[in-house]
Amino acid sequence: MIIIQIENSKIIPFPSYDDQIEKGAELIFNGRVRETEHGKKIKNLEYEQYEGMAEKELEMIAQETTDRFLINDLYCKHRIGKVAVGEVSLHVCIWSKHRKEGLDAMSFFIIELKKRVPIWKWAILENGKKIPSDCTHE
Amino acid sequence: MIKVKLKCFSQVKYALGSNQLVFELEDGTSTDDLENIIRKKAEGKLDDVTLGIAINKKYIFNNTKLSDGDEIAFIPPVQGG
Repeated sequence: MIIIQIENSKIIPFPSYDDQIEKGAELIFNGRVRETEHGKKIKNLEYEQYEGMAEKELEMIAQETTDRFLINDLYCKHRIGKVAVGEVSLHVCIWSKHRKEGLDAMSFFIIELKKRVPIWKWAILENGKKIPSDCTHE
Repeated sequence: MIKVKLKCFSQVKYALGSNQLVFELEDGTSTDDLENIIRKKAEGKLDDVTLGIAINKKYIFNNTKLSDGDEIAFIPPVQGG
């Protein structure tokens, strides 16, 4: 199963179930906002999305990931709007029978997300000034 | 003539000073033509920015003729995650 959600409020993690007895690996990735950009302390990041396209692109990447790797489920929440330092901006859960395919799938999904999903971010400095985020790596 | 809507994000929004613009263009105008118009309008602010292109919320990878009513976005490097 695939679940994709883009939210503008604090991310509540997907629940972890004990009854998934055929799924031996449950992988959880939380991407959090770091406290510095360009060496300067920031208050928060501000994410903007291309509404409609960002969610569609995430769904396509999730589908490609489940087609390519032997995983059971891929759930993803991406936050937009202001996200404070330390808070989660990206939450991904992958369930699979064994860990290797889950780990490979997680890596593939996040790399593709960072290449393709039309979401951008600005860093808000402690003095309120807005600067482009320097995070464009894979 | 055709009318298309340009959605602006991130560096494109900053360079053009708007979230959205509407253009009336000659029939036969392509994505390359519109990109040239946008870059000129940005007065150098997009010179170092690589732009992807989406038509109606779908990436396209070749120069494409625009149609009346299209929604276009020039996509600066994305930064999700």
